[in-house]
Amino acid sequence: MPLHILGILVIGGIAGIAVLLHLLGLSRPRRFEDEAAARSAWAEEFPEIPANRAVLCRNRAAALIQTAQGPGVVWPMGADSTARFLHGARITRTRDGLLIRLPDYTAPRIRLVLEPDEAEAWLTDLEQTA
Amino acid sequence: MSDQLTYPDVVQMAVPFFIAAILIELLWIVIKGRGGRYETRDALTSLIMGAGNVISGILLGFIAYGFFMLLWEITPLDLGTAWYVVLLCFVLDDLRYYWVHRFGHRIRWVWASHVNHHSSQHYNLTTALRQTWTGTFTFMMIVRAPLILLGFHPAMVLFCGGLNLIYQFWIHTEAIGRMPRWIEAVMNTPSHHRVHHGRNPRYLDANYAGVFIIWDKVFGTFVPELDEEKPDYGLVHNLGTFNPIRVAFHEWMGIFRDATQPGLTWRERLNYCIQPPGWSHDGSRDTSEAIKRKHLARNPQDAGTPGFSEPR
Repeated sequence: MPLHILGILVIGGIAGIAVLLHLLGLSRPRRFEDEAAARSAWAEEFPEIPANRAVLCRNRAAALIQTAQGPGVVWPMGADSTARFLHGARITRTRDGLLIRLPDYTAPRIRLVLEPDEAEAWLTDLEQTA
Repeated sequence: MSDQLTYPDVVQMAVPFFIAAILIELLWIVIKGRGGRYETRDALTSLIMGAGNVISGILLGFIAYGFFMLLWEITPLDLGTAWYVVLLCFVLDDLRYYWVHRFGHRIRWVWASHVNHHSSQHYNLTTALRQTWTGTFTFMMIVRAPLILLGFHPAMVLFCGGLNLIYQFWIHTEAIGRMPRWIEAVMNTPSHHRVHHGRNPRYLDANYAGVFIIWDKVFGTFVPELDEEKPDYGLVHNLGTFNPIRVAFHEWMGIFRDATQPGLTWRERLNYCIQPPGWSHDGSRDTSEAIKRKHLARNPQDAGTPGFSEPR
């Protein structure tokens, strides 16, 4: 197959499928139904380190997790989720919440959309436990 | 010798089929409300990884092909191009695929290339296209050397490899439950390959087959899909990014970080490259064996069931 035809097919195919998925409403990120769901999402990543406490943010997009080995966070990865400990994290306030920078190539930045008072509370909580 | 033998690039020719099949699977899922899941960013990442794999092949393919042609120059054997030679080549190349794939899960250097194929938490036809950009650097082309030295022309071997890849496309789906019993017994199927993509302790390091599942049965790595335990797709520690660059290179970065940390012996540095994923010099991480062992400690009733049988 000529290279330019292949290029058109590949680029057109990728773009077309992505647009179609978005139009079908399949871009919605996961929301945690409750704290139990957040704990369960944490357990999927760290089955041997139980979440002692889970604080779900108001928009249910992420949860702050406290464990015996320190704090962590669960957050959506598309329709699914992942979790990380916050060891070595640099946390800064943003206009709409918090930005967590991790020394982790597989999860370098976590953007959390939080209410101002909620962001302050999370930041205080993390400063006390991290 | 038939130096000028050429075969069509079947993978490139299959691109329109890949796109059409993805659209059909997507519409099936949307209309029927079952048979799998799609999510925009996940699918987009998978498709970009697939495109990157094609580009990588165009840019770096000459290395493997040059190596194969060198072997072809030195071998005194030439099995010709009869249809039964192509068929034999296809079967033997599938055996080659089994071992390369097994190495890909058991040697971290090779896993660094293959890991991205397992990095989606979804399992649909786009996942099939989430392919490596760095396969050349694993040097697994060496595993094909015996085929060429035996007299299979490099172009034929690559043709068979392409057919193998195309076969494996359709098995990346949840839309198909189980195939007729005789097919499940001999061929790799969606059910068998869902097990391979499962991160459940039971399903780790199982079902490496490309086309013929018989290799797993012969070499003791076959685990059936259990109705009572649905595969949970993805990595043991799932990625926190959709960035294709990070997806493609994250394990290489991990190897570099681990092997260059201060205070290690040279043997430990080497082991970070060649031991199974999860190996660490201080035992602070878990290999798949450790994950299975810990699972059995928490769930002793699973001992002796598929995936938790004899050590392999």
